[in-house]
Amino acid sequence: MKNSKILWLFGLVLVLSAFLAACGGGDDTDTGTETTETEGTEGNGGEPDSVQELNLIQSAEIPTMDVSMAEDAVAFEILNNVNEGLFRLNEENIAEPALAEGEPEVSEDGLTYTFKLRDANWSDGTPITANDFVFAWQRAIDPDTGSPYGPYMMAGTIKNATEVSEGSMEVSELGITAEDDNTLVVELERPTPYFMSLMAFGTFYPLNEEFVTEQGGDYASNSETILYNGPFTLTNWDGTGLTWTMEKNAEYWDAETVQLDAVNVDVVKETSTAVNLYQSGEKDRVGLSGEFALQYAEDPEVLREQEPVLFYLKFNQERDGEETAMANENIRKALATGFNKQSLVDVVLANGSLPANYLVPTEFAFNEAGEDFREINGDMLGFNADEAKTYWEQGLEEIGETEVTLELLGGDTELAGKMDAYLKDQLETNLEGLTVNLKAVPFGVRLELDEAQDYDIQNSGWGPDFQDPMTFLDLFVTGSSHNLMSYSNEEFDTLIEQAKGELAQDAEGRWEAMAQAEKLLIEEDAAIAPIYQRGIMSLQKPYVNNIVKHPFGGDYSYKWAYISGKE
Amino acid sequence: MTQNYENLPKDSFERIARDTVQAEKISKPSVSFWQDAWRSLKKNKGAIVSLVLFGFIVIMALIGPILSPYEPNAQTITHANLPPKIPVVENLGIFNGEGKLGGKTVDLYEMKNVDQYYWFGTDGLGRDMFARVWKGTQVSLFIAFVAAAIDMVIGVIYGGISGYFGGRIDDVMQRIVEILTGIPNLVVVILFILIMDPGILAIIIALTITGWTGMSRVVRGQVLKYKNQEFVLAARTLGASDSRIIWKHLMPNVLGVIIINTMFTIPGAIFFEAFLSFIGLGLQAPDASLGTLINDGYKLIQYQPHILLFPAVVLSLIMIAFNLIGDGLRDALDPKMKD
Amino acid sequence: MARYIGKRLIYMFITLALIATFTFFLMKVLPGSPIASADKLSPEQRAVVEARYGLDQPLPVQYFNYMFGLLQGDLGISINQFKGADVTDVILSRMGPSAQIGFQGMVLGTFLGILFGMVAALRQNTWVDYTSTIVAIIGISIPSFVFASLLQYWFGLKWDLFPVALWKDGFMSSVLPSIALAMFPLATAARFIRTEMIEVLGSDYITLAKAKGASGSEIAFKHAFRNALIPLVTVLGPMAVSILTGSLVVEQIFAIPGIGEQFVKSIMVNDFSIIMGTTMFFSVFLIAIILIVDILYGVIDPRIRLSGGKN
Repeated sequence: MKNSKILWLFGLVLVLSAFLAACGGGDDTDTGTETTETEGTEGNGGEPDSVQELNLIQSAEIPTMDVSMAEDAVAFEILNNVNEGLFRLNEENIAEPALAEGEPEVSEDGLTYTFKLRDANWSDGTPITANDFVFAWQRAIDPDTGSPYGPYMMAGTIKNATEVSEGSMEVSELGITAEDDNTLVVELERPTPYFMSLMAFGTFYPLNEEFVTEQGGDYASNSETILYNGPFTLTNWDGTGLTWTMEKNAEYWDAETVQLDAVNVDVVKETSTAVNLYQSGEKDRVGLSGEFALQYAEDPEVLREQEPVLFYLKFNQERDGEETAMANENIRKALATGFNKQSLVDVVLANGSLPANYLVPTEFAFNEAGEDFREINGDMLGFNADEAKTYWEQGLEEIGETEVTLELLGGDTELAGKMDAYLKDQLETNLEGLTVNLKAVPFGVRLELDEAQDYDIQNSGWGPDFQDPMTFLDLFVTGSSHNLMSYSNEEFDTLIEQAKGELAQDAEGRWEAMAQAEKLLIEEDAAIAPIYQRGIMSLQKPYVNNIVKHPFGGDYSYKWAYISGKE
Repeated sequence: MTQNYENLPKDSFERIARDTVQAEKISKPSVSFWQDAWRSLKKNKGAIVSLVLFGFIVIMALIGPILSPYEPNAQTITHANLPPKIPVVENLGIFNGEGKLGGKTVDLYEMKNVDQYYWFGTDGLGRDMFARVWKGTQVSLFIAFVAAAIDMVIGVIYGGISGYFGGRIDDVMQRIVEILTGIPNLVVVILFILIMDPGILAIIIALTITGWTGMSRVVRGQVLKYKNQEFVLAARTLGASDSRIIWKHLMPNVLGVIIINTMFTIPGAIFFEAFLSFIGLGLQAPDASLGTLINDGYKLIQYQPHILLFPAVVLSLIMIAFNLIGDGLRDALDPKMKD
Repeated sequence: MARYIGKRLIYMFITLALIATFTFFLMKVLPGSPIASADKLSPEQRAVVEARYGLDQPLPVQYFNYMFGLLQGDLGISINQFKGADVTDVILSRMGPSAQIGFQGMVLGTFLGILFGMVAALRQNTWVDYTSTIVAIIGISIPSFVFASLLQYWFGLKWDLFPVALWKDGFMSSVLPSIALAMFPLATAARFIRTEMIEVLGSDYITLAKAKGASGSEIAFKHAFRNALIPLVTVLGPMAVSILTGSLVVEQIFAIPGIGEQFVKSIMVNDFSIIMGTTMFFSVFLIAIILIVDILYGVIDPRIRLSGGKN
């Protein structure tokens, strides 16, 4: 009799296996019936439906809705939709006047901007005044606020910001004054060609002083204790929950452009769950990461977007006070050319990312004639196994070693793990005598190791904070808080200094200097090795139209989005 | 009650002579505790099949990675995401290298020009799943066995001392255990993995840091039960030392419980490792354990079920085998269950 | 009894104090900064931000402040998960859903487990017995995240019987997560009850009851079941732990705004105050369960009470 027990048991294991395997069979849900465009479905562009509700998924909760405290993608995205600054990025991602009435008056030396404000109201009906900006900016830079992004965005740009942030000057000395209710004057530290795009960034949004002071510590603790001035208002957010709604803001000055009545958002952290919600029709859009990107690559509802976020390897030249192997230029060049970026992008990432042989991303910065900054330098130091080998042998000879062991520091996400495993395999295969040890740590730990310069190679990434190549380039000047790998090239520093200083008013010369600096950094010094420029893949229902993707600040705008053909 | 014994035929009975030698003879052969346990375990078919199955898994975990022509971590990026293909079996219509692509079933091996056979398919980096599954099994079993062994050693010593000496020592030691069991082990494990360099060692230490308390409780209970029994008293009267009493008299009696407890610790450890992989605190890439493989695989369940299937089946089999062996041992070692 | 409970409460308090101390210092050696944009700030500016959360004070002062706050039920302020929010508020706001699915899962699992175990014991060595044993073993053989996502895929997406995920449809939303959580209690209870019942069924007093002509169901429920149930209380502790562990996985997969889901996130973002607060919360929960189990056990089983009285 006992025998049958065993039979039952293994029978059940088989059933279980079949259960698992059966999932492979049942996947042809209802995809492939709608449109058949190959390059994604950017909506059908038809007449708007009567019900204008968008259902979205966010991958993380809102850490804060306080503009002065915001420092992450989720907060900035929502702020971008429920609030507004002097400028806003439009559908073409060009900063255009929002709360500012037309372009500002700029002084001859490029240091003083005078903005006229348009007639606009907060969501409670009180008018927005110049003083709201003064209050918000002073609050963001005030050391007592402890804002992380205030000092970061303002220091070196807005007059006296550095001194105020360090407490050596009063907040009132910050270069911003309200001449009257409708006139705002901003003084800069140095001419800043990309200043308009900064004005679209969350940290520079206004705050209603009376309201904020009245709420005190409760300000922005839930959706009821915030005033809004953007296309939408936030509702149903309890401050710690996983759900919220953005409703159309009737008080918004450009309310007639806004077509959506509501955007319902839920936080879903598991991509598999998010995809299931999309397939069940509860959600209209879902981001695909890692494995999912590969699975849905052929799906007709797939949408591919390019992001100006660049990932690269940082080569630490000095660890624990001693020079590492990567102090040698040939070793760096060997490492930089020793891995196949195309396969990485095609097979490992498979999400529409581009292999990068550059630092400043494509389709990010344009000159006045509308030419991409990328076109000047083109590709530099791409994958070439033979060249890498030559560099490697030369480098080894120069440092007098035959074997080198390096530690590759990376993130602890699944994708990062997979990517680093790939890089390890590539480098070890192409460069004989190299051993790469992987070290995967959470983001916070990586920052700490980065700061202590306690790593050999680091897989690092950077997204822009304003629309100018400088946001990428000045990371690597000697002693910058992001350099942290003992890279130092006087020529590079001079070029960056010139672009920031004397060439600031000379668009063409400045462009040229930055291009030269990039070439120096990547091609000649191989101080870093670019890996890829991130692409984003999502599934989006065909009835969703006009969600605008931004390169910096908040990732998406729903101001122009509408539903058409869902019914 | 109403049977009539008188009616029984006389020749049914035979008279035998009284024999003093026979009187003292024990007709059952003398068997030691272990022989006895083994005998009753042998009767439990579930446990025996599990034992064989587990033996097979252990052997595969050791030689599996060698059987495969590929290294567990070697990547052939052009061979990524291939479904399983097994010689001979492929003719039956399963494991024939066919998979879905854009909604159609195609022979992916043919499409990608792959001549080799990947018995369990490949993963997203073109690594051989056969080698990885068995390597992962090896790692998972290693973690579980070492963790269980450490738990056992600490638990037995701690519980033994506490139970045997009793009194104040027992009191203090039990308060410490009480506090330790009050800390959610989940939290301790997570915190320890956070502060240590992630890896096999960190996972083992984290698992054992509070894991031994269960064992110590059981051992203490058993020691308390036996230490006042007559045979211990007799040994003590005869002048046996403490260590002799512990090792020669108490341990053999407690051993059964220790083994059973360990049998249930091992699957628990394997499971916990899988859980750690899920929340991202498991083994580091590129190394694999059953937990990380399952965690990678469950996301691909709809399109590449083979990546989940094999490690999940191996894990389930290990769990089932251990539970049945544990059950069988408990029945075999428990005198109450004896027939 | 009152003295016993009083004594236990004192131990509980000491345990909690030690756990708090332990966690506090563990957090201090935890690598990584809780400030997300640390790499964007100059050292001076970072010092300013850290000062806001009291991270600049000497360790003993921080420790004293923390312990003093704990006494008053103040768990501190979240550093980056919910910037500036009271940790107590965060935990309270997340407790409801966790408690609901945890309770439902426990009740469902224990109920089904008892049922399975009983049927198995009464029909020992038949196909009923084997099936229930196997269901019980399978229940603890598949990792909960695999099981939960299979439930979601089949019952949510394919058959559309329950919501795929999210916490919007009241009870319906809680069904699948509760089932996922019920598996461990089910398996534990089923095996436990089966073993105990078989033992009880073989004991003398059942034979006596049979001899006296008691019916099958009377024996099963009145005698065997009641006695088999008592030891089940002892596994309530491990079950509670499994619910805790399970909540981390299940809440994440079903996108439920519970404590487990929030705890995983706080670990990922290094939010010290929330990690500490949640640890304390879990510890209180677990210690309370252990205490309740011990008291219950004393109440239910007369033998325990007797020996307790002698001491």
